[in-house]
Amino acid sequence: MTEHHSEPNAAVEAFDITRTYGVGDTAVEALRGVSLTIPTGQFTAVMGPSGSGKSTLMHILAGLDLPTTGRVSIAGNDITTMSDTQLTQLRRDHIGFIFQFFNLLPMLTAEENILLPLRLAGENVDQTWANEIIDQVGLGDRRKHRPSELSGGQQQRVAIARALASRPTVMFADEPTGNLDSATSGEILNLLRTMVTTYGQTTVMVTHDANAAAMADRVLFLADGQIVRDQGRSEASDVLAAMAEVSAL
Amino acid sequence: MQVALRGLWGRKLRTVLTALSIVLGTSMITGTFILRDQINNAFSDIFHESNKGIDVVLSKKTAFTTDSGAVAGPLPESVIATAKTADGVEKAEGQIQATGSIVVDGKYVTGSGGAPNLVFSYVTEPFSNSQFISGQPPDEGTVAINQKLANDEHLKTGDKVKLATDKGAVPVTISGVFKLAGVSSIGGATLVVPTFSDAQQWYDRVGKTSVVYLQAQDGVSPSELKSNVQAVVPDDVKVQTGTENADEQTSQVEGSTNFITYILLAFAGAAVFVGLFIIFNTYSITVAQRMREFAMLRTLGASRRQVLRSVLIEAALMGLVASLIGIGFGILLAVGLNALFKAAGVDLPTAAISIPFVWSVLLPLGVGLGAALVASIAPALKATRVPPIAALREGFVLPAGRLAPYVPYIGVAVAALGVAMIAFAIRSGGGGTQVLLTMAAGAIIAFLGVAMLSRLLIVPIAAVLGAVLELALRVWRFLGGVRDRIPVVGPLLRRVGYGLTLGYVWVGLITTLIVLAILRGGISTGTLIGIAIVLSFGSTFVLVLWERRPREWPWDASSPTAGVLARENTSRNPGRTAVTSAALMIGVALIVFVAVFVNGFKDSFLGAIDRSITSDMIIQGQNFQSIPAPVVEAAGKVPGVQTASGIQFTEAKINNGGTDTVNGVDPATFSNVYKFDWLDGGSDKLLHDLGPDQALIEEQFAKSHDLSPGDTFNLTSIDDNKLHLTVAGEYKDPNLMTGLIIPSRTLDTFAPGAKDPQIVLVSFEPGPAGAQAQKAITQALKSFPSAKVQTNAQYKKDAEDFVNSLLMLLYILLAMCLIISLIGIVNTLALSVFERTREIGMLRAVGMTRRQLRRVIRYESTITAIIGGIFGICVGLLFGWIVAQGLADQGLVFVVPYSQLFGFLIVATIFGVLAAILPARRAAKLNVLEALQYE
Repeated sequence: MTEHHSEPNAAVEAFDITRTYGVGDTAVEALRGVSLTIPTGQFTAVMGPSGSGKSTLMHILAGLDLPTTGRVSIAGNDITTMSDTQLTQLRRDHIGFIFQFFNLLPMLTAEENILLPLRLAGENVDQTWANEIIDQVGLGDRRKHRPSELSGGQQQRVAIARALASRPTVMFADEPTGNLDSATSGEILNLLRTMVTTYGQTTVMVTHDANAAAMADRVLFLADGQIVRDQGRSEASDVLAAMAEVSAL
Repeated sequence: MQVALRGLWGRKLRTVLTALSIVLGTSMITGTFILRDQINNAFSDIFHESNKGIDVVLSKKTAFTTDSGAVAGPLPESVIATAKTADGVEKAEGQIQATGSIVVDGKYVTGSGGAPNLVFSYVTEPFSNSQFISGQPPDEGTVAINQKLANDEHLKTGDKVKLATDKGAVPVTISGVFKLAGVSSIGGATLVVPTFSDAQQWYDRVGKTSVVYLQAQDGVSPSELKSNVQAVVPDDVKVQTGTENADEQTSQVEGSTNFITYILLAFAGAAVFVGLFIIFNTYSITVAQRMREFAMLRTLGASRRQVLRSVLIEAALMGLVASLIGIGFGILLAVGLNALFKAAGVDLPTAAISIPFVWSVLLPLGVGLGAALVASIAPALKATRVPPIAALREGFVLPAGRLAPYVPYIGVAVAALGVAMIAFAIRSGGGGTQVLLTMAAGAIIAFLGVAMLSRLLIVPIAAVLGAVLELALRVWRFLGGVRDRIPVVGPLLRRVGYGLTLGYVWVGLITTLIVLAILRGGISTGTLIGIAIVLSFGSTFVLVLWERRPREWPWDASSPTAGVLARENTSRNPGRTAVTSAALMIGVALIVFVAVFVNGFKDSFLGAIDRSITSDMIIQGQNFQSIPAPVVEAAGKVPGVQTASGIQFTEAKINNGGTDTVNGVDPATFSNVYKFDWLDGGSDKLLHDLGPDQALIEEQFAKSHDLSPGDTFNLTSIDDNKLHLTVAGEYKDPNLMTGLIIPSRTLDTFAPGAKDPQIVLVSFEPGPAGAQAQKAITQALKSFPSAKVQTNAQYKKDAEDFVNSLLMLLYILLAMCLIISLIGIVNTLALSVFERTREIGMLRAVGMTRRQLRRVIRYESTITAIIGGIFGICVGLLFGWIVAQGLADQGLVFVVPYSQLFGFLIVATIFGVLAAILPARRAAKLNVLEALQYE
């Protein structure tokens, strides 16, 4: 095995990772040798056709799954050898999540949902910070509402605030606009962008939406388990063109 | 049909768990009936076998039948000679039947399991049913004994022992050892066989005989002989053929086995009732989870009726299979119990196991199937309301039924109706089947009502319990923080705490302790805490030595959020939590009711002893048998004894109506040892002067027969003797001296079978002479080994122990309900975990550890269980209170057994923890990614 040296400025690094599901004839290689560095403060979009491995990549970078081979380091910690409890604690301390279906607890209020990861960690809640992000995501007057009383956009705002509450090293968003109408999608994307710009929040977003990708500082394209393109900030039309090219590969 | 089958197969675990609740109930029904038949058949075999050589039996005619133990007196011996004069008699022989046992090393030998100690005089062939395995039949001064008695006491032919008789302990030699109708003992009873004339002497039956056996000449049938004999013997002699006699003996045994059968069936019924809740809950949740599937079936063209049918068929199949398994288990249970009886020394003659088809197969099958269908009908109807559109929409929620908002209020009305029924039944008095059935129906209705209305209370109770839990967790965390700041000791404590992390070991130990404490009814709280502390520190110490790696306390990683989440989880579907906890409620309520009732009974009885009995010592017979009458005189002669006065009981018919207890006491002495609560016209002086045709009556007796002082009434004894009595006075004593009191001398002739007292009260002279008497009296009564001399305190302790062992038996039977409700909690939790798969995935993704997840589920389960416990205790207390109010004039007091209630609550809590083990483990094992992507 080659020795890898972490870059001091990296939030997440992956070195030549592969991920294989199943064994023998039915084995599927979801990732075949991906290396990548996500620098602190960058907003990265990951795109690719269905089955390209982009979700798998995100799961591994977020410490939800482990690579078959290769090494992943999050905030300088090698996750490959961690136990389930250590991984959980790592996620708790360094990772924020935003899901396509919001995944809020129906019986908790917006504020309780936002503070849940902190409470689970048993840390004392920094109320100033909490108030700030709740205001930032625009939920000031809704903090006592339950998810069923909120619109889809509002629920996703709660999810964003929840992801940010613990000031994670990196925030992952899995199709954050996949379940929203276009106007609301725009609001949510702007919000994500603001968080990156204002707080320097490192963010990785998996998306199908070219408009979403156009908000990012960097766009990665995956096909057949490999990074096929890695470009900087792009217009939506460029993204679409690149997608077409990638899909044709 | 195929869909239904697949449905069952696809949900194995929940099907198995749900079915288990039916299996337990039905197996109990099957087992009970098999056992009943087996016992009845065995006794029938014995009685028919032992009457085989007997063509006709003569005994004293009884005026009424009773199971109170009142027996008719003996026949005059002359009946034997008279009977011989009848045509067709080949041989006639008398037999004395009495109670008594041998004395070995100064100890009176009782049978096993409270079985009687019988003395039957020897009869020759063909009447004898004993086969001697050693020695020979008795001569004068010798006795034969049954094989089990000989084995248990290591006796053999030629050994010298004593026999407890009415004349005192008589030295006898064992002439031989025999088997009876092929068994070593009938149901554990001891049997001593002397000669006829010895028995007459020893048991005060000179010139008398208990029964007469007749053998017919060749060619004369038993029934011919019966009518021949009837023609010559007096009217008060009952003439039966041997078969009739055997049938009568069998039906007497059946009477008592039926009683036990009904009790066991009541428990089986309770188990099935609890099972109903579990089936209902499981199907409700399953239907909610399968909405997409039903909607899909509907889009494919299935009609509502077909959907209904598929759910009901699934339930019916489950019920059917579960009942069949239950029947199988029931058969095994019966076989097992039989072996257990044998091991315990209650040797039942082993008739081959026969399975009464209707009762032990068809009935449980019907009950199991019926329960499954009844409980699943509401969920099945709900499934039909799923519209096809639900197949296409994420998160479709069925609109609540029209009645749903009113359910809790209907519940209040239903519960009130049930409670009213119980109150009505108890007020209407008596203990007849009708009353008991009304009460049971009332209880069932009340339980249903409470289950319905409890939905309203789940949220507030869960909020309170959750707050307590959260507070406790905060305190723990705080203490953990403080602990870690202490130098040296802190880390040590942290290490010691690891012992406590083996929570389940703990739960097991503590449960065992509490169950033991409740069963024994009397380990003091101090002892209990002491044992707990010793065990905890002991095992902790071992663990600390064993485990090198320091671990954290179970609470170190805890966050109060787990408490909040658990609380919210129990409150988010209050209906579901209500039904789950209701299952536990029923078990707990029944246990609490039994505890309140039995403790109330015990306390009123013991209280009455304290109030009424003014003597210093109480003498009673071994095994609840009567005491030889000469004991009273012997005790009275002991220096320092002021008064020894006996109480005799019998049962007699009043006017032409029902029967009641008749107490016989010595008017001259009884008020020295007993304090009456006199009413209208009664006084100690009146008792002292009580004439032979006068009676003192108890308040309840006066009420039910509408009698007051000066009135007259007729009494008929079991021997068909008549008395015409005048009411001299009235007293209140609903616990000890119920019925009426007449002078013992009147009772002796009125009911000769009750001439021996059941209890003798002895009071001492004041001063040192009295203190001496206590030792002297035990010495003086050595020759009457069947008399048990006790101080009042010892007597009360004995009574208490007896009641406690009864309570223990009831608890064990009721534990079945608790176990079934435990299954219910497991099932609901498992289904909830399944339902919340994606949520669990999210929680794990944002940083919940497996341990925290397990904890949330454990807390949720515990909250549900405690709610069930609280409801159960409330309902049980309410039932107990109603019954105590209804029976207050019969002397029952309402007692709240606080420490036991607390114990029940802890047991419920522990049940909650236990129920969570599997579901929590399952949830923790879920793969985060798969859970997140689960639909």
